Amino acid sequence: MIIVEDIHKRYQTDQGPGKWVLQGVSFTIPAKLNVGLVGANGAGKSTLLRIIGGVDQPNKGRVDRQCRVSWPMGFGGGLQGSLTGRQNAKFVCRIHGYEDEIPDRIAYIQDFAEIGEAFDQPVKTYSSGMKSRLLFGLSLAFDFDVYISDEVTAAGDVNFRKKAAAAFKNLADHASLIMVSHGEGTLKQFCSAGIWIHAGKAYWFDKIDDALNAYKEHPST
Amino acid sequence: MHQSRNALSITLSVWKALFLRESLSRLFASRGAWFWLLVEPVFHVSYMAFIFTVIRVRSIGGIDTTLWLIVGMLAFFVFRRTGTQSMNAIDANRALFAYRQVKPIDTLLVRAGLEGILLFFISLLLLTGLALFGHAVLPVDPLAVMVAFLALWLAGLGYGLVTSVVVELAPEVGKLIRLMMMPLMILSGTMFPITAVPQPYRDWLMLNPLAHGLEMARVGFAPHYHAVPEMSIGYIFAFALLSIFLGLALQRRFALKLITQ
Repeated sequence: MIIVEDIHKRYQTDQGPGKWVLQGVSFTIPAKLNVGLVGANGAGKSTLLRIIGGVDQPNKGRVDRQCRVSWPMGFGGGLQGSLTGRQNAKFVCRIHGYEDEIPDRIAYIQDFAEIGEAFDQPVKTYSSGMKSRLLFGLSLAFDFDVYISDEVTAAGDVNFRKKAAAAFKNLADHASLIMVSHGEGTLKQFCSAGIWIHAGKAYWFDKIDDALNAYKEHPST
Repeated sequence: MHQSRNALSITLSVWKALFLRESLSRLFASRGAWFWLLVEPVFHVSYMAFIFTVIRVRSIGGIDTTLWLIVGMLAFFVFRRTGTQSMNAIDANRALFAYRQVKPIDTLLVRAGLEGILLFFISLLLLTGLALFGHAVLPVDPLAVMVAFLALWLAGLGYGLVTSVVVELAPEVGKLIRLMMMPLMILSGTMFPITAVPQPYRDWLMLNPLAHGLEMARVGFAPHYHAVPEMSIGYIFAFALLSIFLGLALQRRFALKLITQ
């Protein structure tokens, strides 16, 4: 269960504090529920994910994580371009305290990512699809209660999305997913509940379809 | 999942992972990266040594000019490379803050440690090379040399801790700091003996803690070296510890600001 309480967030700009991105966001995500975040570009979806993932801090409010939450998988970071996929994977194993199990985890990641020989090539040579395969495989190699995905599946092909969805079905009895995506199909495939972020507020919907509908009725603001 | 990893074990595993990662990207990121890493200071020191010995004098302050110059430059590099590397650590590792286990200070400490180890090997290599050319390179008082290098490394770490925060808050300052490095190298007495500077200017030069470290290192190599009389190892250690303290305080105060943006 993740409890988000009255989160306020604004970023510092060169001209002083910027406008509020999130202004009083509160909700509770029950355990084992896959949630999709929808909203316009710049509405604050990624910001909220980063705050839930603990890599950014809100200006006000708090997040109570009563479970193990993954890092926010996304294009923003997590992989170093000059190192190979394998080296990046080893790094992530080490910081999560799996020093002794590196060979097993690497085998799993390599198997899931299915990027062939590119696994031993520098990450900067990867396409965005290959990166998302690697990132997804990386996070699935560890037992989190909640996985956070920021548009990672967007760049994946049909095969990969099927594979990822199947992996999450398998995890469904003990883990869940919070994801941002602009792909309606992806959201419906992965999530059951939805959160619509609009004008700094978050609106909870028990059904992802309702969240998508609410979002579509306010497309421009 | 390892249910109850305590803070210390998380930090240690992060340091280990970062250390391996930093060494990989520092030594093998591009073709022959390790070679250039070694060659750059060797080349730098060699041409200075060549210019000094051919054009100028055979001995400075009673010791071999080449040794005087190389020890001074190496000692300065210990400060400069540690300082610059750790100053840039946070920016270079921004992508890693996606993992909440990794804190800015971790990347900085690991880089400073790695740089210290690299410089140890570079120094060995340079001195061995010098020995092959028939110079007496064995320090008479190795402990004093190590203490001096440690002081300079700590000063570099303190400098990095402070400047990394300052640069993050005001990027313009970073440009000024980089500009200052070259004059600082000269003023620290790498290329001219501070003993030769008349008073009161010598006192002014000795306000710079690095000058103390450089002279100390030279005395360690050859105790008969005429060092600056005002030399004080306590001064540079005090500077190092104060700047480390200030740096750690700044890192703590601005911890959130360093990750966000």
